[in-house]
Amino acid sequence: MDPSERELYRAAIHGDRDAFEMIIRSSSRTLFAIAYGILQSREEAEDVVQDAFIKAWKSRWRVREPEKFPGWLATIVRNRARDLIRGRRTVPLGDALDTTPATTPDSADDLSGDVRAALATLPETQRTAIALRYFDGMDYATIERTLGLTNGELRGLLGRGLQVMRRRLQPALAALNQ
Amino acid sequence: MSTLTIHDDIEPWLAASVHEQLSVEERAAFEAHLASCSSCRALHQEQTAMSKLIENTLADERPDFDFEQRVVSRFRNTAPQKSAFASLLANLLRTRATQLTAVAAVLLALVQIGRLVTDERPPAIYRQREALMTAELGKDEQRGQEPSPILRKATAAPNAGANARAQDKTTRAQSFAATGLAAPPPVSGKPAPQSAALPQQREAKLKSAAESVDVANAPAEATEAVEGSEPTDTTAMPDGSTGTGTAGGASRKLVRNAQVELEIVSFDDAVQKITAFAAEGRGYIATSSSDKQANGKLRGEVVVKVLPEKLDEFLLKLRVLGELKNQTLGTEDVSKQYFDTDSRLKNARVMEQRLIDILKTKSSKVADLLEVEKELGRVRAQIEEMQGALKYMDAQVQFATVTITLAEKDMNVPAAFLLKRTAQLALFSNDVEKTFAEAKAVVDGTKAQISSSTLDRDSSGEATARLVLLIAPEDADALIDRIKGMGRVQNYNEQTDRVAQGGSGMSENANVERDKVQLSITISRNEQEPALQTTSLRIATTAVTDKLARLKENAANSGAEIRSSSFMRNPDGQEIADITLRVAMKNYGALMRSFEQVGKVKDVSVQRQDRRGSINEETAPADITIQVYSEGRIVGDETGLFATIRRTLAQGATALMWSLRMIGVALAFLAPWALALAAIVWVLRRVSRRRAAVKDLKEQQEHEQRREED
Repeated sequence: MDPSERELYRAAIHGDRDAFEMIIRSSSRTLFAIAYGILQSREEAEDVVQDAFIKAWKSRWRVREPEKFPGWLATIVRNRARDLIRGRRTVPLGDALDTTPATTPDSADDLSGDVRAALATLPETQRTAIALRYFDGMDYATIERTLGLTNGELRGLLGRGLQVMRRRLQPALAALNQ
Repeated sequence: MSTLTIHDDIEPWLAASVHEQLSVEERAAFEAHLASCSSCRALHQEQTAMSKLIENTLADERPDFDFEQRVVSRFRNTAPQKSAFASLLANLLRTRATQLTAVAAVLLALVQIGRLVTDERPPAIYRQREALMTAELGKDEQRGQEPSPILRKATAAPNAGANARAQDKTTRAQSFAATGLAAPPPVSGKPAPQSAALPQQREAKLKSAAESVDVANAPAEATEAVEGSEPTDTTAMPDGSTGTGTAGGASRKLVRNAQVELEIVSFDDAVQKITAFAAEGRGYIATSSSDKQANGKLRGEVVVKVLPEKLDEFLLKLRVLGELKNQTLGTEDVSKQYFDTDSRLKNARVMEQRLIDILKTKSSKVADLLEVEKELGRVRAQIEEMQGALKYMDAQVQFATVTITLAEKDMNVPAAFLLKRTAQLALFSNDVEKTFAEAKAVVDGTKAQISSSTLDRDSSGEATARLVLLIAPEDADALIDRIKGMGRVQNYNEQTDRVAQGGSGMSENANVERDKVQLSITISRNEQEPALQTTSLRIATTAVTDKLARLKENAANSGAEIRSSSFMRNPDGQEIADITLRVAMKNYGALMRSFEQVGKVKDVSVQRQDRRGSINEETAPADITIQVYSEGRIVGDETGLFATIRRTLAQGATALMWSLRMIGVALAFLAPWALALAAIVWVLRRVSRRRAAVKDLKEQQEHEQRREED
């Protein structure tokens, strides 16, 4: 973490609202990706991010070291997202997830449903890594830092995730290529 | 990186490749492998296509450009904005530095409190520094004023303080020398040793001191230049005599005084000698007073004024006069006060002159002139006051005051003794008022006098009289005996005090005088007198009223007094009469015997209380309590089988009710405890159930998550 960033987090912890807004601007997309990785819903992810920032502001004094601030923000987002997931457990998702797309769609646009379904089958961390990569085009080094992974772990994670998706989407892809 | 490894672990490579996150070497190796391996090439193609697909799909999900702004504005609307002060306070408390400071402050405060409690002084070094600071302050004060004489004189002073600190830093010594305030006053009779030992060093110091003063008083340099030569002159003087009071007096105003207490043989002789000593010391006797004690000894005080430098000599001489009981010697430095007043006086004079000038110009209005006139009056009053003060201080300084207290030997032997006899007499009388009148009549016939007499009657009509008599000592015994004969003596005591006059201790040849005898008499009714002997008895008879009449008759015959009498008849026909008699002890036996004839005497109990003091056995009262009673009918009205059954039933019902009540009480006592216990058990069970439920839920979730991950 470079000194200016550190200073920004320190100021925010000490109650500087401008600094905190700056942090919101710079990190809300990353956090959105994390929330999306868990929730797979744009609206819900956005709500979670907003809530998380408000909660973080109220309890910012809990973080003593500025270095830990981004990680702490991510934790808040993750916890809220999981809470939300737990809340909607009653809605059966399994049916939608387990069914592989039987029909072969004819255009790329129609494939988005399949992609989403395939994404939904992935474990949470893989999905989050993919979201970070594809939403913001984040390079591996940043993703590693955000999720606390090593380069090897991240590559393995993405490799496995994409492999699973590829297998699921193979029929559709084949159709697309034809 | 071998191509084989890439092939075996192709997936991460594919991912990193489509994400363009391979390093240059990695990409080279990967591309080399793709070129050689067709299956991997196909996978790579697929992966690229899929990546594009995912990117397209997620592009829809990606937050729009407005996203951050929305989050920020939501934050602005929702997050509470604290007041500036509150947030400042909160932030302050949060910083480590503030916390440390607060802790340090608290610790410091505790230490200071501890110091206060234990009355510990700060270490010597701090005191020194404080002294230095005060000295500096003094200098600053004087700088503001016109050149004060103290500065000039201080430089000229043979200043022991400056020498003592000769080893100090030069600056420090300068400041001390310049003010001359922090230095201790020179002690008379004790030459300053350092001044002789270090003349060279001292000269240098004083010079530098003079310089520093010059710098401080730049406008007054012209006058200082003349004064500046003085220090060298002073140091050139032979030392040893400079330490005395007069030499100090040139620069310092010292008021010396002494108190001496002497025990002498003859007062007049002593005063004469003191006058002679004072004359030798060029002094004089200021005041003299004496008074004669009752034992003929003289005591007095002589105030002598002598020249300060002759004081010690004078005090030594005084010791010849008699035994020295006490001596105190004090020196007060009034320099600061003196010179302060002096400079204020000068200021006031300047002010006066200015006001006079204003009056002379006459250009102002009449009202203003009046105002000026008024002000002038005030200033002149001030001037006079200050002049007076200076004159007084001059007088004080010019002469030392010696207060000599003289007392002739054996001052405390008493001149005479006085024997004071006081007596208290308590009398019982049948008729208080009559005895009171008689006693007063007796007193009138003698040389005694009544100093107070009171007659009180309480709420029950009983009278109590008090008399206080002062009787000539020779008549006392006779009169006391006469009064004793007027009633029954409850108690009598007397004591004699020997009071020494004009001193303390025992003197063999002092006179002994007898003072008047003080006699306090209390006369109260003899009913209040406790009986010497108390007897109680019962007489059973069938004709109670008849016997009672006979009893009363017997009592009257033997001179007994009936104190109380009562009669009572019970519903069952029993009659009881109680009667209390008081009889003189001499008639007691006869009366008791007479009761035998009245009826059968039972339950006789006698209680005797012998009291301290002289009691006349013959006339002392004895109380007799008699109960005369008849047997009543023992069997009640209600008899027979039915009555018995009814009574038994009633008793049974009462017992039942009583046990019911007991059960109620027990219930009321136990119920709250039982309820409380039940509540506690209920809460505990709920808590354990809830815990179990939470645990189940968690396990379930973990399970599901695991399944999901799989």
